[in-house]
Amino acid sequence: MRLLMWWCGRALSSAVTLLGVSVLIFAAVRLMPGGFAETVLGPFATAAQRAELATRYGLDQPVFVQYGHWLAAVAGGDLGVSMISRAPVGGELLARLPVTAELTLLAVAVSVLAGVPLGVLTAVRARPGGGGAAGRLLSGLGVSVPEFVLGSLVVFVFSRYALGLEVGRWVPFGADPAANLATIILPAAVLSVFSVSVTARTTRDAVMNVLVEPYVTAAVGRGEPPWAIVRHHVLRNAATPVVTLVGTTIAYLLGGALIVEHVFNLPGVGSYVVQAVGRRDYAVVQAGVLLAAGVFIVMNVLIDLLVGVLDPRLGVTAGRRA
Amino acid sequence: MRPIRLACGVTAALLAAACAATDGTGAAPASPAAQETVAPGYLALADDKLPAGGALNVSVHIDSGAATGYDPQLADVASTWQLLSLSYETLVTIGPDFSVQPLLAEKWETPSPTEYVFHLRPGVTFSNGRAMTADDVVGSLKRLLASKSVWRGQLGPVESVTKDGDTAVKVTLAQPYAPFLAALANVPAAVLPMKEIGDKSLDPATTLLGTGPYVVQDHRQDVSWTFRRNDRYWAEGKPAADTLTVTIAPEEAARIAALQNGGTALATLGNVDSGSMLAGAEDVKVVTQATTDFYYLMLNTRAAGSKFADPRVRQAVAIALDQRQIADVALGGKGRPTAITPAGLPGACDPAALPSAGRTVDDARKLLADAGAQNLSFTLSIFNTEPAPAVAQVIQQNLQQAGITVTIEQLDEASWSGKVYGKAPADFDAALSWFAGYADPGMVAKWWNPETAGFNAGFMRPDKELNALIDAANSGTGNRAQALTAACAKADTDAQMIPLVTRPATVAYRADALSPSLYATEGYGNVLRLVADARVKKSR
Repeated sequence: MRLLMWWCGRALSSAVTLLGVSVLIFAAVRLMPGGFAETVLGPFATAAQRAELATRYGLDQPVFVQYGHWLAAVAGGDLGVSMISRAPVGGELLARLPVTAELTLLAVAVSVLAGVPLGVLTAVRARPGGGGAAGRLLSGLGVSVPEFVLGSLVVFVFSRYALGLEVGRWVPFGADPAANLATIILPAAVLSVFSVSVTARTTRDAVMNVLVEPYVTAAVGRGEPPWAIVRHHVLRNAATPVVTLVGTTIAYLLGGALIVEHVFNLPGVGSYVVQAVGRRDYAVVQAGVLLAAGVFIVMNVLIDLLVGVLDPRLGVTAGRRA
Repeated sequence: MRPIRLACGVTAALLAAACAATDGTGAAPASPAAQETVAPGYLALADDKLPAGGALNVSVHIDSGAATGYDPQLADVASTWQLLSLSYETLVTIGPDFSVQPLLAEKWETPSPTEYVFHLRPGVTFSNGRAMTADDVVGSLKRLLASKSVWRGQLGPVESVTKDGDTAVKVTLAQPYAPFLAALANVPAAVLPMKEIGDKSLDPATTLLGTGPYVVQDHRQDVSWTFRRNDRYWAEGKPAADTLTVTIAPEEAARIAALQNGGTALATLGNVDSGSMLAGAEDVKVVTQATTDFYYLMLNTRAAGSKFADPRVRQAVAIALDQRQIADVALGGKGRPTAITPAGLPGACDPAALPSAGRTVDDARKLLADAGAQNLSFTLSIFNTEPAPAVAQVIQQNLQQAGITVTIEQLDEASWSGKVYGKAPADFDAALSWFAGYADPGMVAKWWNPETAGFNAGFMRPDKELNALIDAANSGTGNRAQALTAACAKADTDAQMIPLVTRPATVAYRADALSPSLYATEGYGNVLRLVADARVKKSR
């Protein structure tokens, strides 16, 4: 019963959040200076042509009426039509989603596979007052350098020294898996730099907190080997903050993918939305942001469930929400 | 965390920009670099001894993104003309010296200054296999004349279009009009399959069906176009490449990267410094194609309390501008000062002979003082695409010499468009933009008449005398050179829209993968004009 209540509560709060996001994004795209008609019709169009275009897309109606129409359509599963390509936005997003999903999942995999061992290693090797400067510098750099700077640098270097990898081109996995990997490894690596650093830092702090617990001291006293202690006592107890972080990182990476896809010219959701913003293609921007918000909400729910499994004291049936 | 990331990012970007913007000496090039031509009028000529076939990949920065779709007659930007020209053709075309050449019309006659008879090339079919007829030509021109197309105005005073037998078409003008053939040579005047449009089996806004060398196989908006060769194409042996993929890559670095690693064989570049970045790249050849497109400065005379209502203030701005410096510093020496008739076109005015060219900064200061505008300051609105910011900075420095303070307002293109064209009267002080220069010296001059152009009526007041001079220059009667000179001088004195410098196009290609043909100067912004000739040496 408590679980059912929890699900209902989360569904309701998710719906309210999405509604809030929809209002914000709808207002934001219309507050941007430069309208669709000015942008796509160019300088040569007459006032009558601009008016005709506004009428065709309902842009001449009051904003709240436009919002109502859009919301009703979205509720019915219709994300609208791109005003540029005249293609249904839902279909276009679906066509581009595999690129973004692959990019993001690869970046998450790199973050976990590199960040967690790095964090554990630096925590276990940490000595009071000594060392770690190089690690701090590297992780500091990792969280400080924006994706567009690092991405541009990588594009520049690898366009000259390809090393079997490619930039500026995209090959779908289904068409040629090897070529697909050659085109996506670099963007995924760039996208993961920030999250690897944060994951390593968080893991290190979590592991160090666990290392001072009495049960670890007891295990040391029993003479258990260090890696057995890490495996049996430390990892599970340090996992909660790391799992929470990885969940939120996925949402963060979706935002980063927007930049990385643009820099590496990958035909994903991110580059689609960036170009739509530039041309004030309202339906595409609204749908893209709503999709990102939806992924963020779903990730949060999954994190809550997973945290409950890892640590029942924090789980949904314990009446606490992470 | 964010402020640190932002600070690092800004620092790195500034360093990168500084490295890219200087040549180590800080000195600006003294004069335009001479273009290396392989034959008169050509930057490159495809080697027709190379075997035909293969897949050709090219990268461009922008897709056609018009709300009007792909209807050639409604296309009004060069990026759309470029793509549509792969599938559509016109009666005539433009040669490397801007002469009008046959295309779908194999020849034509002008029995009188107002009559043109076009004899259609035999054996031309649309890509669906149906033969092109005189009815298609007549229908296409009539449809264009009845449309709201921008190009309708460029065709001039067409009185009638009729069939002259089954293989000829006669066009009668109300009065002689000099740019008529040049206007027929651009994509909006393409011959469309009128039978299919008439029976509604084809919507030209969504489907490309022409007589051109390539047929669309696939298109993903903002991602790519894939074309296959039109096996029914009338010109023997053309197109040479079997497939043509046009990848849309908005980021310049991605286009450069694809070029360097062989992912693309030809790419258009926007930044004048990109050629230097590719200087050490093996097998990559970078050429600068001159175009008749040019940058111009708009001074808003229609805003309430306009700072430019007094012509003396506008003339002072025109005098203080140093077009040569803009070309050298902002465009790396690759642009040319121009009047309203684009430099590079036969018959264009000499910008050095304009009234403002012979005057000094002191003259500008005196004009400002006479107008009571000694402390003139204004905001210059520009879009953020290179090299507009660099052009704006040179303008700012030029005008500072005359005591004019310019604040540069850099906007994304959509915001800029909204500000400049969104309402009338427009509420900007000054703005920077560029025009497509076309292929006849009188064509773009027509945009100096806001009653004809329309788009600039929000910030420009019509000048009867100037309009009459432009019309006289295009009338096809009298001494055209004299008429163009008079129109250029009058536009210079009016100075509501001040022409600055031509806008070069940088093209890079893999010499080991491609043997292309490229004009040295292009009138309709079409880098892919001769793509049907290009020979693929190796495909990826």
